[in-house]
Amino acid sequence: MKTLYVEGDTFLHRLSPRTKLLGLAVVSLVLFLIHSPAILSVAAALGGIVYASLRLGWRQSWLRLRPILLTIVVVALFTLVFNGWHDALIVVTRLTALAVFAAAVTATTSTGDFIDEITRLAMPLERLGLVRAADIGLSIGLVIRFVPEILGRYQAIRDAHRARGLKVRPLTLAVPLIILTLKNADEIAAAIDARGVRAQK
Amino acid sequence: MDIRFEQAEARFEGRTVVQPLTLSLTERRIGVIGLNGSGKTTFARMINGLVLPAAGLVTVNGFDTVKDGDKVRGQAGFIFQNPQNQIILPILKEDIALGLKSRKLSKAETDDAIDAVLARFGIAHLGERRAHELSGGELQLAALASVLVTRPDILIMDEPTNQLDLRNRGLVERTIHGLDENVIVISHDLGLIADFDRVLCFHEGRLADDGAPAEVIARYRELAA
Repeated sequence: MKTLYVEGDTFLHRLSPRTKLLGLAVVSLVLFLIHSPAILSVAAALGGIVYASLRLGWRQSWLRLRPILLTIVVVALFTLVFNGWHDALIVVTRLTALAVFAAAVTATTSTGDFIDEITRLAMPLERLGLVRAADIGLSIGLVIRFVPEILGRYQAIRDAHRARGLKVRPLTLAVPLIILTLKNADEIAAAIDARGVRAQK
Repeated sequence: MDIRFEQAEARFEGRTVVQPLTLSLTERRIGVIGLNGSGKTTFARMINGLVLPAAGLVTVNGFDTVKDGDKVRGQAGFIFQNPQNQIILPILKEDIALGLKSRKLSKAETDDAIDAVLARFGIAHLGERRAHELSGGELQLAALASVLVTRPDILIMDEPTNQLDLRNRGLVERTIHGLDENVIVISHDLGLIADFDRVLCFHEGRLADDGAPAEVIARYRELAA
């Protein structure tokens, strides 16, 4: 499977996963408290600068951000239709800022570090008997692991359509994508069980 | 190794995929053969506790797969047909470390165990690599490392040379023959299991044949013809 993590030695790579995750949480909260398109635009620009500091290159950056940016455009269009241009502008700038900051964190934090840190952060909940911290860490790690996998599968199904001369339609893409993803999830779950990753010791 | 099936059967969606089976497995190297859909993969999954018996009992080194699932999985490691699905985390060292998490080892102990298992399979240079960058043979060795780092007594492999080219097939076969652990190998590659201690042949959900490799393989060839 591919990974969202990019090896490097930038400032963000050197920051501890905890600092990055807590920083991202604070940034997210602040972004949702701000309702000025101008300030949110500055935040999005700052996020862009942070992301650019990873030196991934335009093409690589576009490929990684394209799915989320296209989703933001769709959400913004709905907002424009139902709530007007002012709210749409807020949605675009806020979600874009959030997306680039989050993408910078996932690009500079390995999945293993994510799992370890989230597990540690969830330990207080485990002490209260609410959850198993290791399960929370593993779940979030698996979400991050699956993102590029699902994108890869989407491209394979799209190529299969083209190879057979079929028109690519959302429904004929979505159904096999969901089925293959669920089947793959079953196999990963079996591997987790077989390897005793969740074993109670 | 002491694996026992006592009238154990497996059902899937109301269909019996492994008929009631009574069997004892103690040999160090056991091969499992059979046509597609014969029930051999389900049989192997029953040993690891991935498939629980709908009736009867399966024990591994004295542990019941139903009551002692974690202990059974500590005794019996499992390598899947597609090693891509075996590797849970993208970077090999992280993935191997994941299997050790429940052992509550220190960072130094974890690192030592990972380095040792990578060195054992001659893939120390792949530790920082991403799984999708590895060749088929390297991926199979990585899957072996990820399972054997926890030191199971038994290793079950489901078609380990499936989809490998000639070179990688040779690499994986040599590695399997050099393993110290007890191994149970499901395979369509009859050459791989030809010198094993015992071979089981499944057909339509039943154990159709059981014995020395040469005889069982010869009868299987007739069955498949």
